[in-house]
Amino acid sequence: MEKYLYLSLLPEALIASHLSPEEFGAYYATGVFRRSCGQAIFFELDKNFKSDFLPVDRIDELCQPHEDGSPHKSVYLAVYRVLEHVPLSAIKRLYVVTSDGKTLGLDEKPFEPDGEKLFMYQDLAPIRPRVISVLNPAEYVKRITSEDRLVHLDKFAFCDMKLGSLETDPENGDLGDLPYKNSQHLRDCIRAVQTKGKRNNKIFMRTLNGEILFRTIRRGFYVGDASGMKYYPLPSRDDLENKYYDWWRSALANFGE
Amino acid sequence: MNCLYIPTIAAADAAANASQAAESFCGISPVFWLVPAASILALIFARIFYCGMKRSEEGTDIMKKIAGHVRDGATAYLWQQYKMVGIVFLIITAIFAFLAYGLGVQNGWVPFAFLTGGFFSGLAGYFGMKTATYASNRAAWAANKSLDSGLRVAFRSGAVMGLVVVGLALLDISAWFLILNALIDDASQHHKMIMITTTMLTFGMGASLQALFARVGGGIFTKAADVGADLVGKVEAGIPEDDPRNPATIADNVGDNVGDVAGMGADLYESYCGSILATASLGAAAYMSASPDIQMKAVIAPMLIGAIGTILSIVGIYFVKVKPGADSKQLLGALGKGINVSSVLILIASAAVLYMLNLPNCWGKFWSIVVGLLTGIFIGKITEYYTSEAYKPTQEIAYQAKTGSATVIIAGMGTGMISTFYPVMAIVVGTALAYMFSAGWDFANISEGLYGIGIAAVGMLSTLGITLATDAYGPIADNAGGNAEMAGLGKEVRRRTDMLDSLGNTTAATGKGFAIGSAALTALALLASYVEELRIGITHASGKGLAKVDAIINEFALLGKDVKTAGLVDFMNVYDVHLMNPKVLLGIFIGAMMAFLFCGLTMNAVGRAANKMVNEVRRQFRETAGIMEGKVDPDYARCVGISTKAAQKEMMFPSLLAIAAPVAVGLIFGVPGVLGLLTGALAAGFVLAIFMANSGGSWDNAKKFIEQGNLGGKGSEAHKAAVIGDTVGDPFKDTSGPSLNILVKLMSMVAIVMAGVTVAYSLF
Repeated sequence: MEKYLYLSLLPEALIASHLSPEEFGAYYATGVFRRSCGQAIFFELDKNFKSDFLPVDRIDELCQPHEDGSPHKSVYLAVYRVLEHVPLSAIKRLYVVTSDGKTLGLDEKPFEPDGEKLFMYQDLAPIRPRVISVLNPAEYVKRITSEDRLVHLDKFAFCDMKLGSLETDPENGDLGDLPYKNSQHLRDCIRAVQTKGKRNNKIFMRTLNGEILFRTIRRGFYVGDASGMKYYPLPSRDDLENKYYDWWRSALANFGE
Repeated sequence: MNCLYIPTIAAADAAANASQAAESFCGISPVFWLVPAASILALIFARIFYCGMKRSEEGTDIMKKIAGHVRDGATAYLWQQYKMVGIVFLIITAIFAFLAYGLGVQNGWVPFAFLTGGFFSGLAGYFGMKTATYASNRAAWAANKSLDSGLRVAFRSGAVMGLVVVGLALLDISAWFLILNALIDDASQHHKMIMITTTMLTFGMGASLQALFARVGGGIFTKAADVGADLVGKVEAGIPEDDPRNPATIADNVGDNVGDVAGMGADLYESYCGSILATASLGAAAYMSASPDIQMKAVIAPMLIGAIGTILSIVGIYFVKVKPGADSKQLLGALGKGINVSSVLILIASAAVLYMLNLPNCWGKFWSIVVGLLTGIFIGKITEYYTSEAYKPTQEIAYQAKTGSATVIIAGMGTGMISTFYPVMAIVVGTALAYMFSAGWDFANISEGLYGIGIAAVGMLSTLGITLATDAYGPIADNAGGNAEMAGLGKEVRRRTDMLDSLGNTTAATGKGFAIGSAALTALALLASYVEELRIGITHASGKGLAKVDAIINEFALLGKDVKTAGLVDFMNVYDVHLMNPKVLLGIFIGAMMAFLFCGLTMNAVGRAANKMVNEVRRQFRETAGIMEGKVDPDYARCVGISTKAAQKEMMFPSLLAIAAPVAVGLIFGVPGVLGLLTGALAAGFVLAIFMANSGGSWDNAKKFIEQGNLGGKGSEAHKAAVIGDTVGDPFKDTSGPSLNILVKLMSMVAIVMAGVTVAYSLF
């Protein structure tokens, strides 16, 4: 029975399983008896990567089929400080799962800046603040993982989110269909990072309380450290509506933050 | 304004004389045959449209499978409902038979007329629903080709419903008119017409009772399924709307058919028959002192207007066509063109018919029809203004969602209450004008004035063939969208079915205006018809040794009047119907309370039924492995069964209460109490119905306004608050609100049918 190794971002955990990514996504979001629901985001990892910190060498021992021959759905190998110990090279596809278990696989693509000057990032692991920044994703990764800073992360995953007309008019721009709470604070944060000579990043929300609305994702997901960054773009709206409609329809049904 | 002053009177007289000469069947004017002819024509075209729909492609296997589930569920529900209703009908028929043949206090035709009214009403709902359930997947598949193909299939299928309702109604009316005219033997032609029209009114009770069961049962079914599907499927399991994994999703779609199609069909069948029959009865009473020929023409005039409306509705349906590639504006224009062409042609034809009939003050009657149509259009526009997200009132409710669900509820209730102002004023002005036009601007000419009110209601509903087509088209387009969604059709198809659904919502607002307005006018006309039925009741019960009846006949004698010829005012005087009579006041209080009691009972019924559905959906998710993975089909039939049983059980008490109240009040407080009851129920029920329908509609569309991408869009805090508002509004707009109009008319009908019992056995 084939084994898979997954790195969950919500919550941060290393999990071995006999389930394929799509099956694992459905199981992880809705449980063994399909009685729960909850969004999931996870990477598929190269199960052969080596680590002194994580017990990846025990996968074969721990992830065995059940006595009745049924697959082992999840074996938690580690929780907490997992991402920082997984090399970027071991990270393969990213899977985003809606709360009712529809799974969409995203492939890595080279990142090209699109010239935008203002960003909102939702950090996913290891911590989950929402940040307003004037740095593009590549610059943001460099900044957050820079060892020159007193507070930094070794490696982290995040996504960028839409700001609508606030990008051009933070004072009066309408949020339109963007569901963010504390809109006045959001405008304050944008003003703070846009004021020359002040900071590049400003925390808008200390932690994510609920689920992310996938429709508010701007370009996609990122994972990076000081050595580099991997970028997983979300398909275009047209592709979501035509090629991946089952997933997109389910994503639109979610309540989120 | 009288025809006698028209220069072309010679031609009219000649035509009238010619028609008199051509009288052939039991003294019936030959022009009457237009009524059965129009009914048969309507049924033929309904059949043509039905066959056309059945010939169109059914779509993919999954589409056929989903449509099959919905069709089976809807059919199972209707049969179960008809079984229950059938038992109630048989019991009531037996009671009527006892009253008629045992006690002799009721017209012997009542049991039969009551049964046929209920039967045809149920049949209209059944045909409409059958067509709708066959049409949903076909409309979705047609939308796959083009927008205009989708419109054609959905609209022509809706037209089946419209034409079946008017066709069966006119068939039932004309058949009973011919039968009674042939079999009732009365020395006085004037009294014979009164007998015929008041007897025919009693089949309105059968139609009203069937309609109330259909509306209440359908409303409870659809909302229980809707709330169950949403609460467990969307909120707890996180799956989207119309997802085949949701066990309640088929029940939800079935609910759209049994509530919005079958329920609406039975409802409007009842309104249509009620308005024509009440007006015919008023016509017979208003022209008692005119020549028998004029009285006969006054009786058949509302039937003829209905017949003309039916024929011209068919013409209008053929005007609804668009070129391939049309956009939504062109589609809306096409639907509007169909209704407008029909309305204008109906006005012209009505003028011609009234002129040809040579009724006294025929142009006054014509203007009453114009007033009726304009009042209906005005109420429709106002309804649209208060409930559409394109206008400020609903947008204001959406803005209140930013501060939570409590403010959404407050704003929706407030807006709904305010929205009653214009419709009520429209009815006040419309009623006054219809009365005055028909009465020749003489307030004292009560009988002709009341006839004018009835004629206005008939005018409003004369376009029912096509307005009901646009009403029934909405749920078909909605179901087509659900079918496309579940079958996983492409984005473009879903966009087109959404557009068709949205168009249906816009045009349905006009239909709602006509339904609300005609209900109020018909209920007013029924009040007057009740007095006519008293005349028959007293006549029937006289000479049977009943002290009450003998006393009333004596009172008429003291006034120097004969019961058979006494006027409306004489009846009011004899029965002391005035505001200083406590029996009237007590009746008004009870009538007003009935509207609220009925709403409360039906709303709580939705809550209880939804609770059962929620438990069942949770159970299936819990116990049936593979549903969420899409590997195993949920047990859709069980959810349909739960909604069906709950609807049947819960609809009985409120519906039977509507029958019991006029009987009980009549037996205790007599005629003054009954008239108070009907007045109180009409005043409170009419306003409450508008409030509930508009509040519910505006909450629904405030949610849609946010889902369109405003105020944070789907998933935002404002959206969550608006969803709560919409859930509260569901039983408002789809269960209690639409049932109130029928409640008011059913109570009037029961009072009419039981007038003989009230006259003979009242306590006080």
